[in-house]
Amino acid sequence: MLTLSCPQCGANVDFKSKASVYAVCSYCKASLVRHDVDLEKIGVMADLQDDMTPLQLGTTGMYEKERFEIIGRMRVAYSDGFWNEWYALLSDGRVGWLAEAQGFYAFCMPFFEGKIPTVDSIRVGKTVDMGSKGIFEVDDFRMVKAIYSEGELPFAAAKGRESTSVDLTGFQNEMATIEYAKESTRVFLGKYVDFDDYQFKNLRHLDGW
Amino acid sequence: MAGNTGDPELPANGQPQDGESVVPPPPARKPLARNFECTNCGASVTVKYPGASLSCVCESCHAVIDVTNEGYKILSTYAEKTEKYKILLPLGSRGTLKGKKWEVIGFMCRSDVASLYYWYEYLLFNPYYGYRFLTEDKGHWNFVTMTKEKPEVKNTAVGFRSCEAAFLEESNQPFVIYNRGKSRVDFVLGEFYWRVRINTEVFATDYINPPRMLSSEEDNSEVVWSIGEYTPREEVEAAFNLQDKLPKSTRMYATKPSLALADWKAIWPCWLLVLVFLFCAQIYFSGQAENVVVSQFTGNFIPNQKFTDVTIPKFTINSKKSGNVHIEVNAPSDNSWFWLGGELVNNDTGDSYPLEFSCEYYHGVDSDGSWSEGSTQSGHTIYGVPGGDYYINFDGESGDFRNNTNQQSYNVTVTRGVPEWMNWFIASFFASMIPIWAWILMRRDEVARWANSDFNPYVSSGSSD
Repeated sequence: MLTLSCPQCGANVDFKSKASVYAVCSYCKASLVRHDVDLEKIGVMADLQDDMTPLQLGTTGMYEKERFEIIGRMRVAYSDGFWNEWYALLSDGRVGWLAEAQGFYAFCMPFFEGKIPTVDSIRVGKTVDMGSKGIFEVDDFRMVKAIYSEGELPFAAAKGRESTSVDLTGFQNEMATIEYAKESTRVFLGKYVDFDDYQFKNLRHLDGW
Repeated sequence: MAGNTGDPELPANGQPQDGESVVPPPPARKPLARNFECTNCGASVTVKYPGASLSCVCESCHAVIDVTNEGYKILSTYAEKTEKYKILLPLGSRGTLKGKKWEVIGFMCRSDVASLYYWYEYLLFNPYYGYRFLTEDKGHWNFVTMTKEKPEVKNTAVGFRSCEAAFLEESNQPFVIYNRGKSRVDFVLGEFYWRVRINTEVFATDYINPPRMLSSEEDNSEVVWSIGEYTPREEVEAAFNLQDKLPKSTRMYATKPSLALADWKAIWPCWLLVLVFLFCAQIYFSGQAENVVVSQFTGNFIPNQKFTDVTIPKFTINSKKSGNVHIEVNAPSDNSWFWLGGELVNNDTGDSYPLEFSCEYYHGVDSDGSWSEGSTQSGHTIYGVPGGDYYINFDGESGDFRNNTNQQSYNVTVTRGVPEWMNWFIASFFASMIPIWAWILMRRDEVARWANSDFNPYVSSGSSD
């Protein structure tokens, strides 16, 4: 783990994953970009309206028999709502994303097989070859904007970061996401898992629940 | 473990569950609910879960308001202020249903655009498990869970017909198409996780496999699948601790489990087994039957003349046990009749068994082709005949054999221990009475179940519209 100090308030800023290049200071909410061991302040994160999510930084769970810990989050908005992308560090050092929306929890990991279609060719119903994972079908795609971030993330998720998010479904409960962002295009593959099956620990305390 | 109790494992009083990843307890938070003035009427509106809900209804003017930002844009207004919707589960009430705690946060009245058939939907919320719908349709309740799975829809054979059905990956049980059409939102109250608008229409299809229903709802941008499960009224009453009993319905419903169907499913394999057993037993006992001819007699007669006091000479039935005796008469009746009447007499005891035979055979050709009726044979079985020596006495008579006055001959065959089918028939009949009754009850339920369907298999396709 790398610990740096916040250029704004001097508090410790932890980077648990080597892949993380962005963090929000947990004390002064400065958004910080990491250049090797130097932190550059690019803005300040405003408070978020409580979204009733049961997850928080530090929540741990199990995915495919591997323990993970949530180390960052980006909340995004699109024309019909919001969802949370929780950044998770697995105990073997890999990183993944836990997408959470309206009680659905999909865990996905970076995926490098197959040929990524261009963003302009994406339309609902299009099939995408996911190499050894077979053919996936585009369910929907939407323009999303980051509205909040916390913890550490593998890219600069300043408020207003824009991307196109494409959801695909495969066999069984497999799903994939393609994210077309300005700096890169990334593919994630994973599946929907029931809340209870994650065996979450250290969940947020929700008053009255 | 989480999942057993229905509640996820929560940090007790902020104490971390294990030594690792210690997180400071969250700071005391402001009250979650947010109040604002209705953009339409100015009344105070409260959003209970502002970060989760996207739209909310003003209780005063029933305008639907976008609550995703401070603009509070009006999504739709409700023209008539009406109290006609009776909300059975109060908004804000909580109940434990299917092992989890749910809060009622929204209410909708929806209807089928074509038929105006309407039903109610209660939106349930739990911050850990998301959203469910509890639908109420004329006293019948369904607990509905959205699924990310895309069921496979294809034509399949169900019973003796082919119909559209949807399949989940979990099994090859078909969910059979029940209704399809546009449905509309007529009325809303409470708050919702999407921007609900009055009068928006979706294209909906319901597939049933009682007690479950698979539904798809399609709008311009997406298809949403959900799985509904029939939930008895009493379960809903108990879950929400309702003081007023929920309205009853004694009628059948698309997803209502049928006791008669369950009975039928349990009974018919047993029935089949019993019938097969009886048949095998019958075949076995038939094979065991003595089936020996103990006397054969040929007599002569002249058509259209009576004859009397014919005696078939004494013959012996060897077996000691009593059994059946089958007597068969064969006469060359040709568009005429031949009759024998008499008795079988035990030579030792004098016991007698009355006999009567009638061989009538008519045939010809008419505009429909050739026809025939009756038979030149006539048989009679006597039961419980002990062994011993017997003879037969009879008289005979016949009709006009087409003016054929030549002497004719007839045969009488006496057989001991013929294979017996009557007992089998009676046993099968009694073994079938309860199954047939169960089938009638089952079918009555299923006919009622499908009465509201546009895909009713119990009406011919010609009259279904």
